[in-house]
Amino acid sequence: MDPRAWRRFRKNKGALVGAILVALVTAMALVGPFVAPHDPNEQRRELLLRDDGTPVAPGEVEGYTLGADTVGRDELSRLLHGGMISMQVAFMATLIAVVLGLGVGVTSGYFGGLTDSIAMRTVDIVLSIPFLLIAVTILQVVEEPSLTSLYVLLGFLSWTTLARITRAKVMQVRELEYVQAARALGAGVPRILLRHVLPNVIGPAIVIATTLVAQMILVESAMSYLGLGVPPPDASWGSMLREGEEMLALAPRLMLYPSTLIVMAVFGFNLLGEGLRDALDP
Amino acid sequence: MRSIRSSLGRSSRDLPASRRRSRRLAPLQTGGPPAACARAQSEVALLLLACLMAGCPEAPDGPRYRGAGADSRQGGGTVVIHHESVVDTLDPHKGWNELATMAVRLCMDGLLDYDHDAELIPSLAVAMPDVSEDGKTFRFRLREGVRFHPSEALPEGRELTAHDVEWSIRRLLHPDTASQGSAFFMKIDGAEAFHAGESEELPGLRVLDDRTVEFELTDADQTFLNAMAMPFAYPVAHEYFEHFGADAGKHCAGVGPYVLESWERGVQLEYRRFADYWNAQPSPERLIYQENLDRRVASLRFRNGGLAAIHRQNTADAAFYTTAEKWEPHRELRVLPSSWGVIMNTEVAPFDNVHIRRAVAFAIDRQSWARARGGRLRPLGQLVPENVPGHVPNLEGAHTFDLERAREEMRLAGHPEGLDEEITLVMGDGDVSRIYGELIQSDLQRIGIQVKLRMLSFAAFLQETGIRHRVQMLFSGWNMDFPDPANFYEPLLHSRAITDENSQNRAFYSNPELDTLLDEARAETDGAKRRAMYREAAKIVVEDAPWAFVYSPMLLEVWQPYVRGYVPHPVWSQDYRSIWLDLPRSRIQ
Repeated sequence: MDPRAWRRFRKNKGALVGAILVALVTAMALVGPFVAPHDPNEQRRELLLRDDGTPVAPGEVEGYTLGADTVGRDELSRLLHGGMISMQVAFMATLIAVVLGLGVGVTSGYFGGLTDSIAMRTVDIVLSIPFLLIAVTILQVVEEPSLTSLYVLLGFLSWTTLARITRAKVMQVRELEYVQAARALGAGVPRILLRHVLPNVIGPAIVIATTLVAQMILVESAMSYLGLGVPPPDASWGSMLREGEEMLALAPRLMLYPSTLIVMAVFGFNLLGEGLRDALDP
Repeated sequence: MRSIRSSLGRSSRDLPASRRRSRRLAPLQTGGPPAACARAQSEVALLLLACLMAGCPEAPDGPRYRGAGADSRQGGGTVVIHHESVVDTLDPHKGWNELATMAVRLCMDGLLDYDHDAELIPSLAVAMPDVSEDGKTFRFRLREGVRFHPSEALPEGRELTAHDVEWSIRRLLHPDTASQGSAFFMKIDGAEAFHAGESEELPGLRVLDDRTVEFELTDADQTFLNAMAMPFAYPVAHEYFEHFGADAGKHCAGVGPYVLESWERGVQLEYRRFADYWNAQPSPERLIYQENLDRRVASLRFRNGGLAAIHRQNTADAAFYTTAEKWEPHRELRVLPSSWGVIMNTEVAPFDNVHIRRAVAFAIDRQSWARARGGRLRPLGQLVPENVPGHVPNLEGAHTFDLERAREEMRLAGHPEGLDEEITLVMGDGDVSRIYGELIQSDLQRIGIQVKLRMLSFAAFLQETGIRHRVQMLFSGWNMDFPDPANFYEPLLHSRAITDENSQNRAFYSNPELDTLLDEARAETDGAKRRAMYREAAKIVVEDAPWAFVYSPMLLEVWQPYVRGYVPHPVWSQDYRSIWLDLPRSRIQ
C-alpha cells in the first residue's frame, strides 16, 4: 500500500474506530465458537426457564453470564456462534459479489462494444429488482434453504455497483499510456488486465467491498428476521432478533444483545469503508 | 378440518409502542427558527433517551373501562371482536375452520346445538328428534316463526321450512359442492351414490310436511346428531345461491341472531342485530368482527378498551394477563379440546418401524415443553384430549417422557446409536411453530435422531403432508368438531381416511383391527360398551404410536368488564352470540 495512504488512514479517527470495531467483531466471530461456554443449541429447560416460562436473567444461574433464551439455551454461546454465522454469510456473499463485480466490470470496461452493452444492461436489470423482494421470493422457492443458498443468493444480487464503478475506472485506465505501451509490446490481454488494469481498480473495490460487508450483515439479519435465514436450531444475530421478539416485553435483552452487535458490526464496517476511501482516493 | 391454523401464530412486524412515541413527539419537530429546531431536536433526542431508559407510556395495568353495573340483560351498543387470520368463506358447506365457524355462527343456526356442558340441545328443531328403535331413523320437527334474514337475494325474508333443510343437505352432499363435510353424512341412505353423482335421488332424506323432515340411515350411527349440529348442516336459503352464484360465500344466508351487513374482505365483517330472530333477547345492536389482527396489536387495543375480548396472546402478554390482578375476574384459562403431536408417516422409512415411532413418543419431554410455553399447554399422552369423551385416564402405555424406554426402543429397532440419516420434519411456518420445531429437534437429538425443519405456509403444509409417501414426519394438531371420540379416531387414523392426495390420515396409518373396532363403536348404542371399545382403540393407538401425542393447547380468554354474559363454550371457539354490553361504560384509568 502507498505509505501516504496509510498515513492518511491513521490520521482519520473515524477509520480507526471502524477498524477497531471490525477487528473486535471479526475476532468474536472467529474465536467465539471455540470459547463459547456451552453448546449453543442445547436446551436446558428445567434449569434455564422459570416456572412461568420466562428465561432466567443474566447471572441468575451460575455459568450463564447473559442468561438464557426463550427455550432455555445459553444466550452468550448463541451470540458467539451466531456471530460466526452472520459474518460467514456476510463475507462469503461479499466475496462472491466482489469476484463477480470485478470480473464483469473489468471485462465490460476493457472490451467495450457489445460485451459492454450486454453487461451493463444486465446490471440495469438486476438493479431494477427490489433486493429484499427478490431474495425473499427466491428463498421461498428453494426447496431446502441452507446457509450456502443464502450467501450465494445475496452475492449474486449485490455485485452490480462494484461492476459499474470498476467498468468506469477500467475505461479510464485502458487509455493510459503504459497500457497502450504494454499492448504495443505485444502483451496478451490476460497479462494487461492482471498486471496493469486490475491494480488500478483494486482500491475502489476494497472500499466497496467493506461497505458491502456491512450491507450483507444487515440483509442477513433482515432475512433471518423474516424466517428465511439460517435453518433452526442454529443461531445468527438476525434469527436471535426474531426469536427474542416474542419475549420483548418481558426480556428486552434478548433483542438488545444481537441488535447491539449488529449495529456495532455495521457501523464498524461503514466507518472503515469510508476511512479506506478517504485514504486510498483522496 | 378445523385444525392447525389457529395455533400457528404469526408475528407482527409492527411496533405500536414506537408509533405512539413518535406521535407524541411530532409537535416538537414542526416549524420554528433554526435555533428552536436544533433545540427541539435535542429535546427529541433527550425524550427518546428517557423513553428508552424509563420505558414509554404504558398501557393501563387493568381494564380501562368498567360497565354501568346493570343487574339484568340489556340491548344496544357495538361489540368489536377479532381474529388474527382471515375468514375464507361464509358458505357453511365449504368453510371448515375456527374463523369461518365463528363468523357463520353469528348469522346462522342449526337444527341442533350444544349447551355449555357440551350436551346436544334442540335449536331450530322444537325438540330433540324422535329416533327409531334401531337407531336408523331420525325425525326432526322444526320450530315455527324462524325467519331468514331479509337481503338483496330475499328482500322480505321468509320463514324456514323443512324444504330448506332438504335443499341444504342435498347441496352439501352434491358432488359439485365438493364439501369436505360430506363425509359426516355418508350414512344417510343413498348419500354415497348421490355424492358420487350416480344418482339424483336421496331416499334417506324425506320432507314429511313443511315442518317435519326425516333422515334414514343405512346403519346406526352414534355421531349423526353431532354431525347435524355442525355448521355443515345449518339450513341455508337457496335464494342466496341462485342470486349470488359463486359469490354466495360472501353473504350469509342464515336465520341466526345477527344479520351480515357488509364484509370488507381481509378487514372486517359488520353485523347488525336481527330483530325477527326466533330466540331474540336484548343484545348489542352492532357487532364488528375484525380479521387479520395480529395478536400483539390486538392485545394493545384490548388494553386500551378498543376490543371486547381477546383469545390469543404472545408469551409476554399472556404472562401479563395471568398475573394482573385487575383482570382476574374477566379471564379464563382452559384446556382446548384439541390434540397436537408429532405425526410419523408409517409407510416410509424409518417410521415404518414401530420401535422408532415409540422411541419418538417416549423421547418427548412434555412437561418441559409446558414450562417453555409458560404453562399454556397441557401434556397429552393419547389421542383424545382430557376434556373430550373417549379420553382414558391412566391409560396403560400412554405416551410420557421416558428417556430410558426411548433408548431401549431405539435398541430394539436396531439403532442403539441413533439414525444415520437426518429426518425432515414438516411444519407450518410462524414464530411459535419454530419454537415447537426446536423443542422437537432438541428432544429427539437425545436418542440420536437428527431433525431438520422444513417450514411451509399453511396451505402448502396441508397439501404436502396429504400426499402419500411424501413426508416423513410432521407436526400438527386436530381441533374437535364435536364431542365424540369418533371425531378424533376416524379422520386421523382410520384407513378410510387415507387417500393418495389430500389424505386426512397423515400418518397413513392402517390397522384393520382398529378399523373394525371404530366402525363397530360408531354404531354401538350401548354407552358402556361403546366406551369400552374406545378404551381398546386408545390402547392400540398408543401402542402402535403413529403419532407421538404431545399436548392440548390452553387458551387464555380475557374480556372487558362491561362485556357480560360471556361464557367460554366447550365446543365452539369464541362464541360471542350470547354476550351483552353493560353500558354506558365509564373510564377508570
